[in-house]
Amino acid sequence: MTKLAQWLWGLALLGSTWAALTMGALGLELPSSCREVLWSLPAYLLVSAGCYALGTVGYRVATFHDCEDAARELQGQIQEARADLARRGMRF
Amino acid sequence: MATGTDQVVGLGLVAVSLIIFTYYTVWVILLPFIDSQHVIHKYFLPQAYAVAIPLAAGLLLLLFVGVFITYVMLKNQKVTKKAQ
Repeated sequence: MTKLAQWLWGLALLGSTWAALTMGALGLELPSSCREVLWSLPAYLLVSAGCYALGTVGYRVATFHDCEDAARELQGQIQEARADLARRGMRF
Repeated sequence: MATGTDQVVGLGLVAVSLIIFTYYTVWVILLPFIDSQHVIHKYFLPQAYAVAIPLAAGLLLLLFVGVFITYVMLKNQKVTKKAQ
């Protein structure tokens, strides 16, 4: 099964469980505070997924290693390439 | 480790995401179980906003992305028309 199929399957399962619980199809009598939490659960999962994504991006940005040598070597190669192409007649 | 502004921006993003996550968790998960006379309810909007605000923000984001894509596509079309 492809990853997309797995994700859709999981989402369909969660969605149907949530729908069944909110519409009382299973015949359970949940206290009103539980019902309130259940009602906002999809929005909560979305917001927490977004927060997790944002936090991971921020963490990776903060811990990314700088490579000084590679940067200098790259700049040198860029200068060489510009000089070479300018010699062959290309204008920047 | 990354230097200077990279670190500040990264850690800032982490902090913002943690703040939003804790506030939203307390709002959605903990508040319904707390007695409605407790003083903490003063710091949170009514529960209905807990679903409305992320929904509105999501729709706004989709709108922004759609407008951006339209703008880029129109600009591309104009460039190809001028090149012909």
